[in-house]
Amino acid sequence: MSSKPKIKDLLDESACEHNKKKKQACNAPKPGATTGGCAFEGAQISLFPYADAAHLVHGPITCLGSSWETRATKTTWPGRDLTRMGFTTDVSLNDVIFSGEEKLVKAIDDIMARYSPEAVFVYSTCVTAMIGDDIDLICRQAAAKHGVPMVPVHAPGFVGSKNLGSRLGGEAALRHLIGTLEPETTTPFDINLIGEYNVTGDMWQYKHLLDKLGIRVLATLSGDGRIKDIRCAHRAKLNVIVCAKSLVSLTRKMHEQYGIPSVSLSFYGKRDTSKGLLAIAAALGDPGLVARTEKLVAHEEARLEERLKLYRDVFVDKKAVLNTGGNKTWSIAAALQDLGFEVVATAVKKATEDDRARAREYLGEKGVLMMNPGVEQARLIDEKGAHLLLAGGRSLYTAIKKGIAFADVNQEKKKSYGGYDGLLNLAEDLKNALENPVFKLVARRAPWQK
Amino acid sequence: MAEVTRKRDKPLQVNPVKLSQPMGATLAFLGVDRCMPLMHGAQGCTSFTKVFFTRHFCEPIAIQTTAVTDALAVLDGGDYSIVESVKNICKKVSPSLIGLHTTGLPETKGDDLRGVASKVGYPLVYVNTPDYEGGFESGWALTCKALIEQLVAPAATVNDNKLVLLPHVSLTPIEVENIKELIESFGFNVLALPDLSTSLDGHLGEKQAALSSGGISVEEIKSLGDAGLVISVGESMRESARVLLQKNAGMRHHHFSHLQGLEASDSLVELLLDETGFNGVTPKVERWRQRLQDAMLDSHFSLGQTRILVVGEPDQLAGTCKILHDAGGRVTLAISSVDSPQLEKIRAKRVLVGDLEDAEAAADEYDLIVGNCHCQALAHRLRKGLVLRGFPNWEEVGNPLKNDLLYEGGAYFLYETANAAEEMRRKTV
Repeated sequence: MSSKPKIKDLLDESACEHNKKKKQACNAPKPGATTGGCAFEGAQISLFPYADAAHLVHGPITCLGSSWETRATKTTWPGRDLTRMGFTTDVSLNDVIFSGEEKLVKAIDDIMARYSPEAVFVYSTCVTAMIGDDIDLICRQAAAKHGVPMVPVHAPGFVGSKNLGSRLGGEAALRHLIGTLEPETTTPFDINLIGEYNVTGDMWQYKHLLDKLGIRVLATLSGDGRIKDIRCAHRAKLNVIVCAKSLVSLTRKMHEQYGIPSVSLSFYGKRDTSKGLLAIAAALGDPGLVARTEKLVAHEEARLEERLKLYRDVFVDKKAVLNTGGNKTWSIAAALQDLGFEVVATAVKKATEDDRARAREYLGEKGVLMMNPGVEQARLIDEKGAHLLLAGGRSLYTAIKKGIAFADVNQEKKKSYGGYDGLLNLAEDLKNALENPVFKLVARRAPWQK
Repeated sequence: MAEVTRKRDKPLQVNPVKLSQPMGATLAFLGVDRCMPLMHGAQGCTSFTKVFFTRHFCEPIAIQTTAVTDALAVLDGGDYSIVESVKNICKKVSPSLIGLHTTGLPETKGDDLRGVASKVGYPLVYVNTPDYEGGFESGWALTCKALIEQLVAPAATVNDNKLVLLPHVSLTPIEVENIKELIESFGFNVLALPDLSTSLDGHLGEKQAALSSGGISVEEIKSLGDAGLVISVGESMRESARVLLQKNAGMRHHHFSHLQGLEASDSLVELLLDETGFNGVTPKVERWRQRLQDAMLDSHFSLGQTRILVVGEPDQLAGTCKILHDAGGRVTLAISSVDSPQLEKIRAKRVLVGDLEDAEAAADEYDLIVGNCHCQALAHRLRKGLVLRGFPNWEEVGNPLKNDLLYEGGAYFLYETANAAEEMRRKTV
């Protein structure tokens, strides 16, 4: 039987907010008016951080050639860091006509001989899915031959969006890895971190606090993850979903199959980090742990406040406009508020209903939820007297025209803003942005325009 | 010359330097003013391409996708998704041209692009660029050819002052500008096709992020037919020159393999002197030639003891290897993303169509790497010097202004490379 998950089932996720209302399949992309990545990218995002596994993309060169080494998903894996490598069969016209299966078999053998990874993920892509290469069979045979898991990932780009692809990635892990190995020991405080990819080391901003509390991270999907650990993930007492809507299907199924409950939270900003730690402790249900966590949170918050004092004067009475998408619409807003900013507006065009509700909660009645940020942000900067625009690169010109400071929200792909300590990174970067003379200076009129 | 290895028995690419054909096509369309590149395939190819170029150029990149889904892939021959895409694009913006290019998905199912193009009813140029064939360089070249074939009006008379420049994909915006400027200093009116020098050169302006801003205009492309002279740079651009010449029997063509180093720069200047009857160049050009001569001498000692790996597209390799070779640099290995007739002419000891795993296996053969940002991890691990060139370069800003061409760029490039070699030696002893 094919290991392909049923796309229809994944789209109709009962744990999804919007499915409680009207029955509606997640929207099909509109030709000529679509942005965002495909299912393959989503699957890649959810699984690539396993540094001890090889990720083999079975397709033509676009899929991997443009995307390898794009995400700084850090790892402590002492062996060769396979997240910084790209493997692809780079199928040619010949393979399209005569099948790419033989090439794929050889490619797996080659990878095993040269790098001996703990597992190989084999990703189908549009072209190889269309020509019907049987990656399930090849993976089964290769697993028997090499004695390590070979995971077929059925997320060709044309099945849908990045979000769906992440679900398909989770599905592949559930079907082929989770529950295939028993942990050496277990503790009452074993958790899995789901949807934490450790981009720029975000996870390490709070992992040491979990350690301190005696909470053991049994497995992650997939930041700084190990194949051996995710295979044991079914023995965790709790699944912690970190900022990832796409993986609720996985955690629901793990609840059904293994009875593991889950909590969904964010480690962005002071309040959310504290709330997150407390939610984990509460869910693990140990009064002693809850008390310890409360104490730790109080200590960490005090320590953070002390270190933030330096910035208070800079941020006091400062207003910010935020233009981003997804859970960042509210998580970054909350972090800005933690630093002392007033967030006067946040873009919610690319956010779910749940995200919008949370954004409203953080911004209050006075805050503006922008449905059309491209048009609205310039006007709101004037109306509200904002000092800072936090947005993607293409909004830079708006900030310059308005003569206010700009910070690229995508900097978080280079530098961690997560947890308590990450907030200090954010504070430093925003202080630098506000103090930087460049935004006003480049807006100067040329001598010949005066 | 070099020992060239084209065919490999490797069943996969490990750490590829190869980039896809549709991406080259996108970039070419971004060199046309107010064009909307439309990639025909699933949404991911477009998304990856957009992010790739946004990071490389630090500029907003205009591109749209036909967003083919699994159901459409089976039912539609491309008609619906393409016609619908154009409709949806035009609801928001009014591009001067739609640049339709394919990916592997619609090519596998055999969409009839030409047939669909005739039904669109909007200015459109189409090009077949499956990503299971060719690469970045050929995608750009095929697009240039398609722009000529489908837009340029045939002409019977020539304007001797009008010159068409056909640059290969690896020339940076400032390099294209510098070639244009040199030629213009001989009194020519120069039009580059495609022209990134005025679109992706990284200038602050009221960006209409939804469309490419700057580049050659569609009207200018249509009237290229009366140019008296065509100059193509890079082996990949020969075919574009050939189809352009078919538009006018009176047009003449000169080809340059590359424009790096003293000899190549001299031969372009010689040609321009011949064509115009001028008896000299501007004082600035003269001065830069002297500076390049000096740079070659100043850098020869360092480069002469440096074994170099150059990684990139074939046409880029040709120029880079030659200028290094001429200053004594020992290019022991050149790794090309794809095959090309250009490989025969590359001044390197060994030329290989390969990937960065091959580069790693040959680590004993070189001290310094000239290549894209994927080479950084390699250089770091193997303790090699590094000069970042080519696509992608996500590690540095200012890529559109990197200038290695002609007398001026050559001087800067040699200094930068020699300094990188010295720094590498300081670090490793």
